Amino acid sequence: MVASADDCQEPRFVVDCQIVAPHVSRPIGHFFASILTLVFFVPASEPSGAVPISALLSLLRPFFRRHRSRLILGFAALVAVDILQLITPRIIKYGIDALTTGTSQDYLTSLAWLLLALAIFSAALRFCWRYMIVGFSRILEHGIRCRIFEHLLKMDAPFFERRTTGDLMAHCTNDLAAIQLACGIGLVSATDAVVLSGVAICFMLYIHPQLTLVALTPMPFLIIGTKYLSGKLHRRFTSVQEIFSEMTEFSRAAIVSIRLLKAHTMETTHSLRFEALGRKYVRGNLKVATIHGLMFPLATMVGSLGMLLILWYGGRLALENVITLGDFVAFITYLYLLIWPMMAIGWVASLVQRGLTSLGRIHSLLTVRPFLPELADDGLTPPGREIVLRHLDFSYPEAKAAALNDISLTFYPGLYGIIGRTGSGKSTLLKLLVRLYPVADGALLFDGRDANSLPTAAIQRAIAYVGQEAVLFSNSIAANIALGKETASREEIIAVAKAAAVHDDILSLAEGYETRIGERGARLSGGQKQRVALARALLCDRPILIIDDGLSAVDVDTEERILLALADHFRDRIVLLVSNRLKTLAAAREIIVLDQGRIVARGDHRTMMRQSHLYQAMVAKQLPDKRAEHAI
Amino acid sequence: MQFDHYMEEGEVAHVGDLRLWARIIRLGARHRARLGAAIILSLALTVGAMALPWLLQQAIDLYITNTSLPTAARLAGIGRSCLIYGVLVVAIFLVSFVQILLLEFIGQSIMHQMRQSLFERLIGFDLAFFHRHPSGRLVTRLTNDIQNMYEMFTSVMVTIFNDILRMFSILCFLLWINPRLGVWMLAFVPLALVVSVFFAKLSRAQFRMIRSQLASINSYLSEAITGIAMLRIFSRAAAASQEFHRMSREFYRRTLGQIKVFGLFMPMTELMSTVAIALILWFGGGEVIAKRLTLGELVAFISYMRLFFQPLRELSQNYSIVQSAMASAERIFQLLDEKNAMPIAQPPAPLPAPRGEVRFENIDFGYKADEPVIDNLNLTLPPGQVVALVGATGSGKTTLLNLLLRFYDPWRGRITIDGVDIRQVDPARLRRVVGVILQDSLVLQDSLLANIVMDTGASREQVEDVLRRTGMVNFVERLPRGLDTMLGEGGQELSSGEKQLLSFARTLCRDPRILALDEATAAIDTESENILEEAMAAAFAGRASLIIAHRLSTIKRADRIVVMAAGRIVEEGRHDELLALGGLYADMVAMDMKTKTGQTEAQ
Repeated sequence: MVASADDCQEPRFVVDCQIVAPHVSRPIGHFFASILTLVFFVPASEPSGAVPISALLSLLRPFFRRHRSRLILGFAALVAVDILQLITPRIIKYGIDALTTGTSQDYLTSLAWLLLALAIFSAALRFCWRYMIVGFSRILEHGIRCRIFEHLLKMDAPFFERRTTGDLMAHCTNDLAAIQLACGIGLVSATDAVVLSGVAICFMLYIHPQLTLVALTPMPFLIIGTKYLSGKLHRRFTSVQEIFSEMTEFSRAAIVSIRLLKAHTMETTHSLRFEALGRKYVRGNLKVATIHGLMFPLATMVGSLGMLLILWYGGRLALENVITLGDFVAFITYLYLLIWPMMAIGWVASLVQRGLTSLGRIHSLLTVRPFLPELADDGLTPPGREIVLRHLDFSYPEAKAAALNDISLTFYPGLYGIIGRTGSGKSTLLKLLVRLYPVADGALLFDGRDANSLPTAAIQRAIAYVGQEAVLFSNSIAANIALGKETASREEIIAVAKAAAVHDDILSLAEGYETRIGERGARLSGGQKQRVALARALLCDRPILIIDDGLSAVDVDTEERILLALADHFRDRIVLLVSNRLKTLAAAREIIVLDQGRIVARGDHRTMMRQSHLYQAMVAKQLPDKRAEHAI
Repeated sequence: MQFDHYMEEGEVAHVGDLRLWARIIRLGARHRARLGAAIILSLALTVGAMALPWLLQQAIDLYITNTSLPTAARLAGIGRSCLIYGVLVVAIFLVSFVQILLLEFIGQSIMHQMRQSLFERLIGFDLAFFHRHPSGRLVTRLTNDIQNMYEMFTSVMVTIFNDILRMFSILCFLLWINPRLGVWMLAFVPLALVVSVFFAKLSRAQFRMIRSQLASINSYLSEAITGIAMLRIFSRAAAASQEFHRMSREFYRRTLGQIKVFGLFMPMTELMSTVAIALILWFGGGEVIAKRLTLGELVAFISYMRLFFQPLRELSQNYSIVQSAMASAERIFQLLDEKNAMPIAQPPAPLPAPRGEVRFENIDFGYKADEPVIDNLNLTLPPGQVVALVGATGSGKTTLLNLLLRFYDPWRGRITIDGVDIRQVDPARLRRVVGVILQDSLVLQDSLLANIVMDTGASREQVEDVLRRTGMVNFVERLPRGLDTMLGEGGQELSSGEKQLLSFARTLCRDPRILALDEATAAIDTESENILEEAMAAAFAGRASLIIAHRLSTIKRADRIVVMAAGRIVEEGRHDELLALGGLYADMVAMDMKTKTGQTEAQ
């Protein structure tokens, strides 16, 4: 058999499909997919949106077209294997018929040699189709994966807000795997099923039509049963995987926070909770096993029932000499050959259905357009002498209340402080400036030009940004600092690390600047990460610097030292600094106080101390001593 | 979703390790009876599966080709055969179903039991253990390694037993029907074994390469998704895209390698099976001509050969499963065998109604053997007094707290509560007596109430009462559904200030005699801070309290201030006394109390 019954076993994990299943992957054209689609899934149970199937398949079409010759070769080999496989029972039939009527050893010897030759030839053909077709499904996977990634890189913040990292990851893992399986195993099994069952049934019909009909009676039950069960299996299996992830996350959290866990003597509570999760997992697995327990024995049973019918009716026919004994045996062999294709049809149906659903999800992902203008980077000098905000309003896509209300500000080179409570709109304002979110026309101007008329990339090239949470990548520290300027020399990197007061910290790590950070590398404290992120921004040497509470985890002392030392660096730049620590803002050209998305006070420290009660209250809260207040 | 973030680890165990086998088999001892039943069922299945072709052969030889019987008798014979055949087919279906479920139940139960004991053992280890083992590894033990073993218990233990038995009995049967032809078939066994094992090894190596590349792609992807704004702002989108393309291409290259291995070996069983049939036809046919074999027997031979090659198909896959399960078992056992470095006194001292006097006596301690952190420290906390610990990062404040909670044992000296060495006390009891409020808290995915109560059994009224008395009720009222607000993933996210408040509420509900507080270093929102201050004032009254203080307001409230530097106490006294002294404390205050914060001593 080309594809054995164990090929359709549901893989335990997505990654495992690569080992359990790949020996069967192989596709036909989208033509085939369309046919299958029409045959099996007229009422698609899972909505792939209102997108017509032809639109979905257009995602795949270029791949099929480009690798046409590869596919033709592969499928030719596949069909040849199927045909060879059907010839084998004929040869056996000749042998047995010859034996009943009496024959010579020589005749048998030549039949045996023929069988051997065919076996070797079909082994070679099998290699061929696997290499061509499974290889193709991998090419397809690679191509779509890269396309998704490139698309993600073009997306703006609202896009990522509506989707969790987990969801996006799922597109790139589960959905991609489903498509690869459908275009691999799915199409190959479909070919197999059609060719094998078609030809086998023809042979059987040729021998005796009536016997064929009788023998095939149980087969439709197998198709329906398998389709029903494999759809159910997939759903139950997915839920088991979810519980597994939940368990993984639970134990990870417990182990990472072991000190907290022990401090609050949560050991028993946690054991009980873990136990409950474990039980849920066991139950889920038993549900999966129920389906497994039905699916494969069902195939065996249906096959055996067919055999029973052949024995009952065919036996009669042989007895009455309507068919020969050789025909009778060949009939049995053909029936064995039919079991897999019959199961495959049911299984392929559920596989292709899943593939289409996944394709639908990926398609809708790829057709989302960013809100920001998609202008090509003109490569011109980035703006950076003046930023003007004119009656800017903004609300987050899903939010009811406005995040920013009627903000009018002008920034020239110099240091600006932005303060306000959590949720007052500080970060939002800065995120609008770095063009993570869209703004209305005319509300935001860089050097007198409307932001919406400038390429996003050009504006971003003008801005160095330090976010609230330092985002570092699993790479060396040097590479993380040089993120915005790949060509930076080691000296430059060290210089900015010194300016961000993180040089000594870096040297204390095992491999200094080459130390890898992240999941598999050194762990940095929050304050160290923030300083690395600052160093990264400083290295870029851009006309606008935005620090969104980027030093919150650094102690006051160090923060002040860093900012003092950067006074020179700040001189010709527009520097926007959000901080909860008012002291660090005392030197700012202007301090802007935001509350509930509005500007409630602005001015330099002295003016504000005189005029703004709010500001005074904030200062009083933070400075421990009346003395200190006068010291500034 | 299943992302494999964890590195593939080297494998130490090999399939022939008998000591390991003995231990694995002991795990199943509890399910002896069920396991026995599963094996008996699977034997029954084997017999049943083998009986089917035999029935067919009997029907052919006795009735279909037997012209000596009258036609009516032959027809009746066929009918009888069909009836037996049909009953057997249905029986096989039912038995298969029961057997599959039973096996799953056994495997799952064993794994559940093992996972649970491993989890309990893990969280019982001392903190030093967690420094030695990266968290990712430990999680892998609990999840993937256990999963690997499960595969073995369900699919392999019985299957292999069953398969070997089946192949063995088929061979015996074939040898019995016709010894000469049977001997020929025997030759396939070593050949098939060698091919299977070789293939298993090759495909496993390929699989690991593919999986590790997929893990790299996935972690790169998840990192890029979180940092996509950064990549764009720092103009790195194109470079990231190139890198991703390179990684994906490498993945493709590796899958191609796997395809070649599979392409070469997958047709092997099929090839062998056809060769076997050719042999039967050639040699067996000769035997039929020579009248040493009946035609029915020849047909049966062909059918049995099919059954014979079926398990061979799965053999290499099963071999892989066993191999990886052995490696996982070895790693799990290593972990289970690890000693807990912190001995628990037997029987533990009861510490019934402590007054709450804490003494640190001549303490020396460090996290690493050659790096002392605490140097001959002596400190007494009288009941009812609030002591503030101040000092720069690395001066040993948090370490002191760690020692008091017995996360570590000191190298020298002892810590006592009312004169009882804390090493004599059950750690869980100790941590009830010493309530600690840390900067963060481990949030359970449950209601706020459940998060506060945990295993104390306190009623809702009791909790509300405690919260009201300490003013913490303000914290609860800020949340959308009060005490019933769901926290954790999918529920309300807590800010860092709120997490500290939760930590406080938990501790207060346990009414500890001694309170220890690690004050938040990072700026927390003003409202949380106000609530915290009020609660502190209420809670600290009458309790011995130790605060690692960062805010002057907190420090001023203390009855005594202890200034630490380099693991020693350098100054001690009240706020004004210390100011008058003009030492380190006075300097610190002069610098506007710029307490070093930044990195806490995370250890």
